[in-house]
Amino acid sequence: MAIPISQMATVASYVLKKRFTGVQRYPLVLMLEPLFRCSLACAGCGKVQYPPHILKKQLTPEECFAAVEECGAPMVSIPGGEPLLHPQIVEIVNGLVARKKYVYLCTNALELKKKLPEFTPSKYLTFSVHLDGQREHHDFSVCRDGVYDIAVEGIQEAVRRGFRVTTNATFFDGADPNSVRAFFDEVMGMGVEGVVLSPGYSYEKAPDQNRFLGRARVRRLFRAILSNRKPAWKFNMSPLFLEFLMGDRNYECTPWGMPAYNIFGWQKPCYLLQEGYAESYKELLETTSWENYGVASGNPKCANCMVSCGYETTAVIDGFGSLKGFLAMVRGTFSSYRDTHALKLLKDFASQQAAPRKNLVQIENSERVPEEINA
Amino acid sequence: MTAEVQKYTLEQVEALELAPGTEHENLEGWVPALATDEDLREALAKALDYRGDVALTLKDGRQIEAFIFNCHNGPSLAESWVQYYTSSASEKRKVGYAEIARIEFSGKDRAAGKHWEDWVKSYNEKKAAGERNIGLAPEALE
Repeated sequence: MAIPISQMATVASYVLKKRFTGVQRYPLVLMLEPLFRCSLACAGCGKVQYPPHILKKQLTPEECFAAVEECGAPMVSIPGGEPLLHPQIVEIVNGLVARKKYVYLCTNALELKKKLPEFTPSKYLTFSVHLDGQREHHDFSVCRDGVYDIAVEGIQEAVRRGFRVTTNATFFDGADPNSVRAFFDEVMGMGVEGVVLSPGYSYEKAPDQNRFLGRARVRRLFRAILSNRKPAWKFNMSPLFLEFLMGDRNYECTPWGMPAYNIFGWQKPCYLLQEGYAESYKELLETTSWENYGVASGNPKCANCMVSCGYETTAVIDGFGSLKGFLAMVRGTFSSYRDTHALKLLKDFASQQAAPRKNLVQIENSERVPEEINA
Repeated sequence: MTAEVQKYTLEQVEALELAPGTEHENLEGWVPALATDEDLREALAKALDYRGDVALTLKDGRQIEAFIFNCHNGPSLAESWVQYYTSSASEKRKVGYAEIARIEFSGKDRAAGKHWEDWVKSYNEKKAAGERNIGLAPEALE
């Protein structure tokens, strides 16, 4: 696991304190969306489909700090929109760092290189750069040529300046696990701390509604991607959550674990669904019928969800909340997850990718060496 | 989410290969008939999911062009409200269901016509024509 020990200790003590004081529902990560404006127009994104007057609105630093203080989560993820387009993003980040919150600023990195001199490296600040795969895959995924190269330039500059940097990838139908594994080699070579990855969620507001992975396909894809790991690969995620994605664990959703706050208020019930807004985190906790969410609830809106904002909290609580979970987490951190069946899956995916596919552009990658030969 | 998934058992959900997405109605320009309280509730539920502005005409004649982002569906219309932003005010505002006389889905649906297939088609056409630096850009904010 790529997460520094000080951060793990903070999260572990937070989880244990909540457990010992009998708190049932508490946030682990605040998803703070200071604006919805973005410099990209990705077809799979369900976060930016708003009229211009909404896209121009943004949270003030004071509103951000009040939300962070009210919910008390030890970590803050800043997605969007593109947070670097917020004119006061440096002030927001500095204020969160001063409050000793572990901040993950999620960015498409188009503005990263230019903005870096305004930020100060800190163990509390990580730039989480959106990269969905190798150059052609990423550019195609974000619907614009050239974005990968700009993002990589930003990553390299951030690493050079001493910032913590991770990449974050979202996968939809058509993702090629062989290419994803080659991508892991590439990004680890850039000096990033680790990789974050997630299956895409079927956002109701997203323009594209036809490429969302179902749970069976998610497990097959992630088993192919995450088995037989190379020693250089590091993941900035709970190993137990990765086992969940690979189909080795069954978890239920913890929808209150990563609450979302944005210009509309506290989103009900979670970061992915928009069923209304509460004025405070307390109101969100008290007025949401939590039993109606998660795959076991039978709610069709939760049917395909295996996303970190619901399930990684469960994995983290499992990992830090019991000795059994902790030992499994340690074992997972050092395991390469050897699996011959997964190698066969990679081969199957490679032959599927070779066949022409309707509605997908054939992405060329002549330099890739088959995994079996590499291993 | 489609009606299809609503019929699935947990086992069927776990076995899903592809998850059916939401089927969006073409609501742009729609003016629902509000003959009953239920009509009004249904129209406002659709307005909440709509990816554009709606025009509300109130019973006192006022007009509000707004993006609706929150609904409170109480037991009666008098106890129900929608919350919205307008382009001319920075603060959130509320209006009661009982005050609303007419709804028009007046604003552009901000996601319509931006399907993945549209992007793939346009990419392939432009690439075949020898174009470079192909991409989609966000719409202008003005």
